[in-house]
Amino acid sequence: MSLRTDRMELTNLETVPGKQVVRHLGLVQGSTVRSKHAGRDLMAGLKNFVGGELKGYTELLNESRNEALERMIQQAKATGANAVVNVRFSTSNIAAGAAEVMAYGTAVVVQ
Amino acid sequence: MQYENPDVPHDVNVSKGNSLTEFARLALGMAVLIALVGAATWFGGGRLARLVPFKTERSWFGERVVGVAVRSCNPSHEEIERYLQRLGSTLAGRMDLPPGMTITVHYTEDDVPNAFATLGGHIVVTSGLYRRMPSENALAMVIGHEIGHVKARDPISAVGGSAAMSMVLALLTGQGDILGPQVARAVQLGYSRKAERKADDLGLAALLDQYGHAGGASDVFRILADFRGDDGGATPALLSTHPSDADRIARLEKAAASWNREAAPLRPLEVAQPIGRC
Amino acid sequence: MELLIQLAFIAILLVIGLVVGGMVERRHFSSLAMREADLKLVMVFNEKTPPANVEYRDAFLVAGSVVLGEDYFKRFAASLRSFFGGNMRMYESLMDRGRREAILRMKEEAHRRGARAVFNVRLETSSLGDGGSGRGMFSAEFIAYGTALIQSKG
Repeated sequence: MSLRTDRMELTNLETVPGKQVVRHLGLVQGSTVRSKHAGRDLMAGLKNFVGGELKGYTELLNESRNEALERMIQQAKATGANAVVNVRFSTSNIAAGAAEVMAYGTAVVVQ
Repeated sequence: MQYENPDVPHDVNVSKGNSLTEFARLALGMAVLIALVGAATWFGGGRLARLVPFKTERSWFGERVVGVAVRSCNPSHEEIERYLQRLGSTLAGRMDLPPGMTITVHYTEDDVPNAFATLGGHIVVTSGLYRRMPSENALAMVIGHEIGHVKARDPISAVGGSAAMSMVLALLTGQGDILGPQVARAVQLGYSRKAERKADDLGLAALLDQYGHAGGASDVFRILADFRGDDGGATPALLSTHPSDADRIARLEKAAASWNREAAPLRPLEVAQPIGRC
Repeated sequence: MELLIQLAFIAILLVIGLVVGGMVERRHFSSLAMREADLKLVMVFNEKTPPANVEYRDAFLVAGSVVLGEDYFKRFAASLRSFFGGNMRMYESLMDRGRREAILRMKEEAHRRGARAVFNVRLETSSLGDGGSGRGMFSAEFIAYGTALIQSKG
């Protein structure tokens, strides 16, 4: 017996472990293009002299990934799904300091 | 097991908003930011530049910044230049310049009436201006005004301010080659209105000290305004971004209100003006 | 004076980008909506395992791809946006169009060859042009590929 919760289950496996897929609802995807502000770009440029993690950009892409997931979940909710399986990510460089993050998967209903 | 493809909402993947209004907002914000940063760096850079001692300024830039065109004429180029230098030194002596600040006046062949102060205490007067001066008093007003700029360190302040501004703007916008030099050039020759008024005051004080009255001073700006009116396009550097001519003429005439033309006539130029073309 | 000429030039490019580019984009979006409605019968999933207990007559790789470019207005607006930070909606619409177009073309190929479902769909995006340096116009290639399956009747 599983409780109905509002949270969408996400896995990058073929199924949700311990559950059965009863309906396959097709491809859903979410994407976002974001940019950090000029101050962060400047810091990153300076950091390039010494190397190491560019925290500003890590943050940016983390936020972007979360937003892309949110949008994918929105599409999945509209199909009536309660889980998304086979989630994949993809990142592309758009312009200086801006990147697109995309998340896609298959919306399913699991029990 | 059911396989289907229900409709999905596609508008989730594009953020809400109108491209045009967003662009307008961003462009406005950017313009405001550039104006603020530009002003801050201009004045900040100017302040810093003024800290450079005059001796250093003069030795760095020397005579190289001054390019003069010479033509043999009657009276000779050298004679006129010597007279201008004499007048300049006399006025400088009355203007309480800091020790070590020397004024060098140059005369150049240029039909456009103009006078400007540049780095190192060098002042340039064009033949176009010299030919049109009705009296030594008017000429002294011009030279006194330019000495005023040197005293206030305006030339190096302008260079420092524009350098600082173009550097910071290039750093911020990442487009140094379009924005920086253009903006720097636009302000390079344009002194602020406050600086111009101050130079006017200093020149006027020197005039009063030298001749005892302010008669003839307003003639300068009337002549330059006439020239600008005739010419339509060519704005001498003396007049660009300056307080309006009417204002300046009015102030100088007010200062000359107590002047008695018969008791203290205007002095003619010591060296005659060259007539016609050489 | 040359500053004014440069500004006027930029303004003209902006207007062209906004008006014509905007038209191109709107038309593309309506074309996408129309074709998506037409191709609803071809289903796509990114699962690897096709339905069990089904006989398949044929299985083959299908792919769809498209390269889309930006217009001057997008580019200029994006440079302003990248200064202040945040979502670049002008590029989001470009990427959305590209991806949907690639998926549609993949569906079209599957449909042409008689399939009604495509499995293990993968999406890839590469930025061509000068995506990183900020000089030159940005363009991106969108690919969608998967395995189309045709059920045997009966």
